Amino acid sequence: MNLDLIDQIRDQLGANGLPYPLPIHPNLVHLTLGLFIAAIAFDIVGVLFPLEKPVFKFLAIPATRSSFFDVGWYNILAAAIITFFTVAAGFYEILLATPPANVTSAWGLQAMETLLWHGVGGVVLLLLIVTMTVWRGFQRFLWRKDQAQQVQWSYLLVGLGIFALMFAHGTLGAQLAAEFGVHVTADRLLRIGENPNLLLK
Amino acid sequence: MLEYLPPLNDHNLPYPDTIHPIVVHFVIAMVLFAMACDVLGYFTRNVQLYEVSWWNLFFATVSIFIAIIFGQIEAGLAEPYPAAASTLNLHTLLGWSLSGMIAAITAWRYVLRSRDPKELPIPFLGVGIVLVGVVCVQVYLGDLLVWVYGLHTVPVVEAVKQGIL
Repeated sequence: MNLDLIDQIRDQLGANGLPYPLPIHPNLVHLTLGLFIAAIAFDIVGVLFPLEKPVFKFLAIPATRSSFFDVGWYNILAAAIITFFTVAAGFYEILLATPPANVTSAWGLQAMETLLWHGVGGVVLLLLIVTMTVWRGFQRFLWRKDQAQQVQWSYLLVGLGIFALMFAHGTLGAQLAAEFGVHVTADRLLRIGENPNLLLK
Repeated sequence: MLEYLPPLNDHNLPYPDTIHPIVVHFVIAMVLFAMACDVLGYFTRNVQLYEVSWWNLFFATVSIFIAIIFGQIEAGLAEPYPAAASTLNLHTLLGWSLSGMIAAITAWRYVLRSRDPKELPIPFLGVGIVLVGVVCVQVYLGDLLVWVYGLHTVPVVEAVKQGIL
């Protein structure tokens, strides 16, 4: 965002460029990714249940197939709800980002390209997660209500494809922090010639 | 000992980016969601949610040990400057403690579930709420290490190498 515009609220911002001490978006990301990945993973466990039966028996862990599909459903539902907040917080923090213009990431992108791709990717992922949740709901409550295998293979395959997209998207986010220093207090202090060792005691 | 590792990059890591913050997704999200399911399940009498909670806790228990392995590798390579050192120590101590707590709570849940998967005693919910509190403190400390002290970020690694930090 334009520095002159950010200056309009400068007295509200801390050393990290935000009006609060720690960024919110990366914390919500834990929930989005953890819940979505676990949802697909447990659906895979449910689909492959006949193969795993002896393993659970050996470990003396009682397991029923339907409860893995319950995890697959409730986890993706929670991921879909929380991700609206993840994306909202992300856009707020993008608006207040002031990365250096002379840095290129390990992927050969500069700050603006990385910010834009991460922003667009976030909206695309939100859309995908919500669509997957609706698809999952149809399988659970209508199409496959009476079937032992609650999810289609195609659903799991698309889920794995989304993992790949999440990996690329997450790496862009990690680069915004660890390479461009967006909202990282110590990096911003170093950039203006201050010593984090003295100021962050 | 460092000569046994592949060459370190500008994040002071032998691989492109930090892995610990990725693995902790599966501890944070699963513990918080497990407890949310227990509370929801308790008040709505939806016992399906108890099963969802158990499997999420199970997943969290497996994940936290992987998180600790990568956490120790990355803490060992973090080169914390004096201002950051005490937070890193506390995060390490609490991380190991959490592995014990989560494993013990999951074991307790295993016993409860084996006896009656449709009932959840109040003390378990209480302990769950305490666990959520400890996880939040641990997330706060990890956030400080990344977002305030910038450990493993390129500018901090560079400043340490140059002797500025």
